[in-house]
Amino acid sequence: MADCCCGNGETNLIYSCSGAANTGFLADQVMRSLSRQKVGKSTCLAAMGADLSGFVGSARVATRNIVIDGCPVACGRKIFESKGIAHVHFIMTEFGVEKGKTEITGELIEDIAGQVAARAKE
Amino acid sequence: MKVQILGTGCPKCKLLEQHAREAIQELGIQVEVEKVTDIDRIMEMGVMMTPALAIDGDVKSVGKVLTKDQAVQIIKGGK
Repeated sequence: MADCCCGNGETNLIYSCSGAANTGFLADQVMRSLSRQKVGKSTCLAAMGADLSGFVGSARVATRNIVIDGCPVACGRKIFESKGIAHVHFIMTEFGVEKGKTEITGELIEDIAGQVAARAKE
Repeated sequence: MKVQILGTGCPKCKLLEQHAREAIQELGIQVEVEKVTDIDRIMEMGVMMTPALAIDGDVKSVGKVLTKDQAVQIIKGGK
């Protein structure tokens, strides 16, 4: 849900890769876990790539944009860099996950989500 | 042209609407003003922080109360 600026809290927005590989699936699931943990609000990376004004405007004023890519192709990071918008960045393959090989389990999702949550606000 | 004020009705949303209406009056133009209070519509437009201001569906400002002068500049640019 959208935040009202009458509140004093910070607004962290979370974006994930939506790629076809296991790493894209993992990125998506990690984002959803972080959203459930209220680390931030999940929103749409594809809309950022499509340059939709409301999404880009929200990213520009967010306290923190957390971008979760699946693999080193790093589409999410490139979208944010192309727009010059600050973000913190994570790549799922940097957590010991092999693209096209590693089975994505609930335990793995929660383990990586915990690590991302701890590092996102550093 | 349609100026849209996005917000669920908090004091800052109302203040943005007031400033937008003052800006329109200063510009002396005929535009439609729409208040978008439905949270689903606000989210569909990608707005994660309110209040926001859009012109013909194009979001111009998010998460802040524009001054009247800022609203004038944005609405002039949106013509």
